[in-house]
Amino acid sequence: MLEKNGVRIAAVSYDSQDILKGFAEKHGIGYPLLSDRDSAVIRRFGILNVNIAPELRAYGVPHPVNYLVAPDGIVIRKYFVPNYQHRVTASAVVLREFGAAGEDAATVTLRSNALTMEIGLSSGKAFAGQEISFFAKFELEPGWHVYGTPLPDAYAATSITFDDSKIVRQSFELPEAAPMKIAALGEMLPVYDGSFQGRGSLLLKFPIEAGRIVLSGRVCFQQCSDTVCEAPETVPFEVPLTIEPFVVPTPKK
Amino acid sequence: MAYDVPKDLAEKAAIMREFGRRRAAGEPVSDELYAKHVNATNDRYATGPESGQHIPDFALPDQYGVLRSLTNLVGPNGLLLVFHRSAHW
Repeated sequence: MLEKNGVRIAAVSYDSQDILKGFAEKHGIGYPLLSDRDSAVIRRFGILNVNIAPELRAYGVPHPVNYLVAPDGIVIRKYFVPNYQHRVTASAVVLREFGAAGEDAATVTLRSNALTMEIGLSSGKAFAGQEISFFAKFELEPGWHVYGTPLPDAYAATSITFDDSKIVRQSFELPEAAPMKIAALGEMLPVYDGSFQGRGSLLLKFPIEAGRIVLSGRVCFQQCSDTVCEAPETVPFEVPLTIEPFVVPTPKK
Repeated sequence: MAYDVPKDLAEKAAIMREFGRRRAAGEPVSDELYAKHVNATNDRYATGPESGQHIPDFALPDQYGVLRSLTNLVGPNGLLLVFHRSAHW
């Protein structure tokens, strides 16, 4: 999924080359597993887990962080979750960076006057404590617009907020809005028209009971045409998500 | 579920040992022990270089002993560089 989008993958741990070779063979891993035997690179990145006493086997492990790095070495984005057993999924990375949703992801379509919205998660399944992504596609009929930021108080910017009952942390980003002169007011305001898409991330709480849940949220926006400005609206929505059963991994003997 | 973060390395080590012992013995791990373990492990969580910053240079052997660096790892659109704890345990 990442390869298709021109992104290669490599993993770093403090394991010996022999252990990594065995692991790659056992699990059919084709990508490079890098051996940072003395954790020197882990230290250089500043992510050595300093909570682990030197006498423990785990001494030298990093905090689990994933970096999406551009070819010139600049960090495009980084991913980390406090619950190290379940990372951000490849489908969440691909959705956030390349706009392609996972195949099992449920979407919901909403409509209000001139605006049609489709909201979907990066994947239909996730673990409690995991970070998932979501997208929102907006389509406006010709002659209509909604607002971006920054915006005077009298107007409502376009936003998506999920209810926090199942979510620890969330974000939502839209592309930069184009300035538009509002003729009736003689003001320049940031607007979106036509089709545009936003992306966000949700860090799920831990624990959440396994099974099918619903993430509910609301879209806020204000749609205006050249002649009419409607009142700000809040449209609630729900998307289904299956929480996978949490299993504490059993160690190898 | 809120539990206090353990104070020092010794207290953290005790929690990690108990967690490891139970896992190895196949004994159930309570939500409380699991949460304490997570808190002990994640105290002062550090995530390294920020978006927009350059990653440190590195050259490490892969599983076949070939020395790899960013230049010979990266794809046309980038590299997902994953740091994880261990492939062994």
